Amino acid sequence: MSGWSGRILDIDLSIQTYRTYPLDMEMARLFIGGRGLGARLLWDMVGPEVDPLSPENVLIFANGPLTGTGYQTSNRFSVSTKSPLTGTVLDANSGGFWGMQFKKAGYDVLIVRGRARQPVWIEIKNDAISFHDASELWGMRVFALTEKLGQNNNKRNVLCIGPAGENLSRIASIMNDRERALARGGTGAVMGSKNLKAIVIEGKDRPAIDDPGQFKFLLYETRKLLAANPLTSQAFPEFGTVVLMNIMNNIGALATRNHQQTQFEGAEAISGEELTEKYLVKNSACWACPIACTRVTKTDKVEGEGPEFESTWAFGAQCGIDDLPAIIEANSLCNDLGLDTISAGSTIACAMELSEKGYMDSDLRFGRADQLASTVEAMAYRRDIGSDLADGSLRLGAKYGHPELSMSAKGMEMPAYDPRGMQGQGLLYATSNRGGCHMRGNMVGLEVLGLPMMIDRFQVQGKSSYVVLHQNVSAAIDSLVVCKFTNLGVADEYFARVLSAVTGIKYATGDMVKAGERIWNLEKLYNLREGFGRKDDTLPPRLLNEAPTEGPSQGWVVQLEPMLKEYYRGRGWDENGVPTAKKLAELELTNLSEQVIAAK
Amino acid sequence: MATVKLFANLRKLAGTKELSITGTTVRAVVNELAERSSEVGSVILENGNLRPHFIVTLNGRNILDLDTAVTEQDTIAIFPPLAGG
Repeated sequence: MSGWSGRILDIDLSIQTYRTYPLDMEMARLFIGGRGLGARLLWDMVGPEVDPLSPENVLIFANGPLTGTGYQTSNRFSVSTKSPLTGTVLDANSGGFWGMQFKKAGYDVLIVRGRARQPVWIEIKNDAISFHDASELWGMRVFALTEKLGQNNNKRNVLCIGPAGENLSRIASIMNDRERALARGGTGAVMGSKNLKAIVIEGKDRPAIDDPGQFKFLLYETRKLLAANPLTSQAFPEFGTVVLMNIMNNIGALATRNHQQTQFEGAEAISGEELTEKYLVKNSACWACPIACTRVTKTDKVEGEGPEFESTWAFGAQCGIDDLPAIIEANSLCNDLGLDTISAGSTIACAMELSEKGYMDSDLRFGRADQLASTVEAMAYRRDIGSDLADGSLRLGAKYGHPELSMSAKGMEMPAYDPRGMQGQGLLYATSNRGGCHMRGNMVGLEVLGLPMMIDRFQVQGKSSYVVLHQNVSAAIDSLVVCKFTNLGVADEYFARVLSAVTGIKYATGDMVKAGERIWNLEKLYNLREGFGRKDDTLPPRLLNEAPTEGPSQGWVVQLEPMLKEYYRGRGWDENGVPTAKKLAELELTNLSEQVIAAK
Repeated sequence: MATVKLFANLRKLAGTKELSITGTTVRAVVNELAERSSEVGSVILENGNLRPHFIVTLNGRNILDLDTAVTEQDTIAIFPPLAGG
């Protein structure tokens, strides 16, 4: 067995026992690992009858055949579950070190099911699995807990939830290696619902590689490509992801004040240039990553990783706040409490708009940097106003009679890119299987940055083909699992060659992208089985009806309908967005679709 | 004169965030910028054309044709290759 470990560890917290069994290798060939394998296993385990916060939901942690091999950025892993935020299929993936350690422990997949009677934490040392009482750890924040449980980057790695997950916030994240996050969709709430505080892993076995000579050659080639590429060798290390702030603002596609505007007058003050000049301490990197995009920053109050672009935007432009130290501190607080920064920031922005318009009785106002930290704290503990905000902006808006003010798709808060200035991004958000998300493909490369080429960001016709390709490739990369930033310097073809060298199974580039398409269609089937349909492939009314009144995107709304029709056709789906029998047969998914038909 | 805004490492090379430059086309403005700062010029231009993945916007709209006309009220922004997410 090469690449894959070939084993699943299946833990039932209700009876605090576990079993191991072989990975179905035909399933692995078709769905690779990570997100794809997680979605396929979730399909069998969690149906429409399951409440996401009930013991019947599962957490499926999955690494991929490349994880832990030492290939550049092969540190990542994912968790799949039914989302308590959206009700859709969910996977979230993270970097750092835990994924590598998980692979070294000798498992491809860790399934956690049931619910412990009392808080527990799990320790995994290859075949030695132990359950520990976590009663005294319950309530601890992430940074202190990670240290207490013995985090040691290359030897022993801690994954845990903070108070937000314990309090079942539907925007709670699972944290690993202190400041890495399986951030989106409420993964932390699912873990909290199981009374599971932490999973600590020590592994000792490096994964086997089928063709070490070829693998070594590809490592060498990838190193050269990443070093020669100006993005992976200069742009990321020098300015980090926050460098996008100024360009998104310049082109009028930076969502501002809950998407009421598309340019923020304070963008320069929260830019990557400002962060680098005034608050950067050093860069840091995940395991086996030569890019080192992570920024360690410091203010008078906190020092730690981040914030990334999306977090800076969520607490910055989206809340009308140009106070960078306050943003850095809110980001750090989210990491310590275990909250998704994008959803937290955008939910606060939604509350600010509800309050300013008199729909909600609170003193939250756009631009009030002094309110950020206290509001984040209140959300994690469900205190005072935080109890209204803890479950995301859609539930908040609905409670106060204005769900349309939630800037979300399928209930997940969208990231920074305002799609009125990027038509393809609008289609991406609307069709993303886990909701408003920029990690299921991202059109910023093609529509703004000219990577690998520039296309007209306002163009509608023909845009769907790019979206489909990006979605399929992202599903494949999320299943290997490597970091998408590697793909800026290394073509898809390399990933297929590395996958072949590691596993011994010959994957052409097309095979790998086809696997991505298979995974996307499987996720779509999952959502259809849950009752989602064409009506859910949409965006907030503001983005469809309210054009910006100034700036470079003035006069534009998202032209979703024609793009969506074209997208469904391009995917081989019918006019309601249901995959056709022909498409499913092509993707070897026919047997699953029969369950969707039966459910209807 | 058009306003020229520089971003990321171009600021350090030019020693400023913003300049005012006369020119009737984007190309003329960029060439004048390269004249004023040879360090910026050598980074952004190759054989008289923009290097790959450098981004130029005119009033926030991406410019693919450097011969696009410029007026005194216009703002040109120049970004080095960027990525993020």
